Amino acid sequence: MVGILDFAPAIVLLPFVSFLVALSVGDHLPKGGALAGVAATAGSLVLAVGTVLAVAGGRTYDATIYTWAEGLEAVDLTFGVLIDPLSAMMLLIVTLVAFLVHVFSLGYMNDEGETGLPRYYAGLGLFSASMLGFVVADNLLMAFMFFELVGLCSYLLIGFHFREPGPPSAAKKAFLVTRFGDYFFLVGVVAVFGTFGTAAFAGSESFPALAEAALRGETTVNTFGFAPGTWFTIVGLLILGGVIGKSAQYPLHTWLPDAMEGPTPVSALIHAATMVAAGVYLVARMYGFYAISPTALAIIAFVGGFTALFAATMGLVKREIKQVLAYSTISQYGYMMLALGGGGYVAATFHLMTHAFFKALLFLGAGSVIIAMHHNEDMWDMGGLRSKMPVTYYTFLSGSLALAGIFPFAGFWSKDEVLYETLLHGLDGDPILLAAYAMGLIAVFFTGLYTFRMVFLTFHGDPRSSTAEDPHGVRWNVKFPLVVLGVLAAVAGLVNMVPVKKVTGLEIDYLHKWLEHGYAGLTVEHYGTLLHDFPHYGSAGLELSPLLPGAVSLGLALAGAVVAHRLYNVPDPAEHTDRLGEIKTVLYNNYYQDEYQVWIANGLTRPLARAANKFDGGIVDGVVNGVSGVSLFTGTRIRRIQTGVVSNYAVLLTLGLTALILAFGLVGGWFV
Amino acid sequence: MVPPEYYLFLSAAMFCIGLFGILTRRNALLFLMSVELMLNAANINLVAFSLVWGNVTGQTFGLFTMALAAAEVAIGIGIILVLYRNFDGVDVTDATTMRW
Repeated sequence: MVGILDFAPAIVLLPFVSFLVALSVGDHLPKGGALAGVAATAGSLVLAVGTVLAVAGGRTYDATIYTWAEGLEAVDLTFGVLIDPLSAMMLLIVTLVAFLVHVFSLGYMNDEGETGLPRYYAGLGLFSASMLGFVVADNLLMAFMFFELVGLCSYLLIGFHFREPGPPSAAKKAFLVTRFGDYFFLVGVVAVFGTFGTAAFAGSESFPALAEAALRGETTVNTFGFAPGTWFTIVGLLILGGVIGKSAQYPLHTWLPDAMEGPTPVSALIHAATMVAAGVYLVARMYGFYAISPTALAIIAFVGGFTALFAATMGLVKREIKQVLAYSTISQYGYMMLALGGGGYVAATFHLMTHAFFKALLFLGAGSVIIAMHHNEDMWDMGGLRSKMPVTYYTFLSGSLALAGIFPFAGFWSKDEVLYETLLHGLDGDPILLAAYAMGLIAVFFTGLYTFRMVFLTFHGDPRSSTAEDPHGVRWNVKFPLVVLGVLAAVAGLVNMVPVKKVTGLEIDYLHKWLEHGYAGLTVEHYGTLLHDFPHYGSAGLELSPLLPGAVSLGLALAGAVVAHRLYNVPDPAEHTDRLGEIKTVLYNNYYQDEYQVWIANGLTRPLARAANKFDGGIVDGVVNGVSGVSLFTGTRIRRIQTGVVSNYAVLLTLGLTALILAFGLVGGWFV
Repeated sequence: MVPPEYYLFLSAAMFCIGLFGILTRRNALLFLMSVELMLNAANINLVAFSLVWGNVTGQTFGLFTMALAAAEVAIGIGIILVLYRNFDGVDVTDATTMRW
């Protein structure tokens, strides 16, 4: 029977077709190929909705589409499509955000008279297609390939304004920094193939299932001389390298703020639904593999918690609206990593979803503000935009409340669950989780502070420049995506109100139930078993009321918001961050992360590379050159016997003959 | 009947005269003549052994050698002609321009 799930590959192919159309004939189409992209992503969105409905009906899909290399010692390399609750949910998010970003681009790019639009829409189409391909990937190698494609597209789009000095440099940085992580990922992929002979995500022969069986002693795999647990941790951490690069976790987060050089709709796409989400999604996709490794989980949680706090502090002092959002993105992805490491698989997925909505909303809202401000992004030149652009203001406010985690907006529910799960598992006696939780909790306060600092500086008070007094209007194609996302940012949290369930007993944790079905090895129950058996999360059987942790985090978020209100919600706010003195300089320069990474590159890597070059040029090339030098030198000497004088040759011939005869005579005994 | 040693001495003597010519002369024509002497020294051996053994194969072979010598002279004369054209003389030690 042909069902909607058989059309799943079309979800990926439609944006790819729009990429081809925009690239080949975009110049001749109205609006530079935008309509093809809008139509393609709308089609994907419809198919994704159908997919979600089919999955809700209990159906799943796992098929190999194309085997592109087979028989290499029983390892087949394939492209396949895996549709289960997790990927169906992600498909819906990505297609929705991609569609809205395409629509928004009509207002941000076309109406603003940008040039090179076919290139822009081709990039957007390929970006959406590669992310969708990554989401439906049924094996790690295919995931890696689309992961790289996503990175390539981010490079193309961040560097869209390639004639200015900033964007190409930012694009290169994004490409190189994420590529640094991807090296580890690639090594990890090879290690997975070498260990398990397969890289499939789902089924009893998939690598997470084999790893679990090996740890339980039911089967053996090639662990290259390590204990299975140690080896799986090493492989997991290698793959995590790619995740840290793409999801902008410390210390590979430095590319993300620079990526703001790209057009704002691209920033929305990168930070909400595609590139940055890819890292967290990958961990969620192969969570069965991480759940068996306590060390990997602890590292994920700690890196996540640290990044959440670290990025939030930098967001406090930034002047540009997009920079604040960039640091909030890093911080929020830190929360997702914290949840994954803390055993909160559902919480992480939930936060991934709500964050996609409210961060896309905030970026598109910022884009709307930037249109209005004639492409000036400095918040200190804004102010008082509330009355002039009410749609943008109210939707932006909805997104900000969600980002800050204020009840009852989406971010509250997901962030609360992230923190609750981590605390619950940390109280079992895991100090690393508790430390990560503490950092996450402090970051809540800073999140509230920087979020509302941004809101108040942008929309409240008096206009601080002539552009802010008479902003440029925006059209329906900007307002429509904002309204859709604004509603979602307000209500998306309702799909998983776990605290309410625990208090009232109502069965309203829909996302939990959603992720409970699907393939046997990819469900919440299975992950729960793994988390209980290997890192012993929840084994102490603690019961913790969600009310107190929820109240604490809400209180901190509100405190941050109130502080921001006191400081910045005045007609003519001062730069209070100046009072931080030296600290502000450090924060404004991002803790000198760029500087120290450049120093590592210049002071450490470059001398190393130079030494390697010397070794290569001196020793390796020297041996080769030495051999040829000896040949050449002896050649120049020995060739002297070729005099060109025939008599000399005759002499040599005669001497040779005589010598031969003598030799034969001696050996043959003629002279005896 | 003349004993075969005499033929061998004659042949060896002719060969050595030819060899001496090759090693000492610079004139290409004399070179060619010396080579002919050496060839015919070998021919004498062939014919002499043919006579001693009463087998005409050696004499037949001698005929072949003459034909070969004729061909060799034809080529040799041609080479000497070119030598003369290019170097204005037939001194073999002049033609050293093709070495290294």
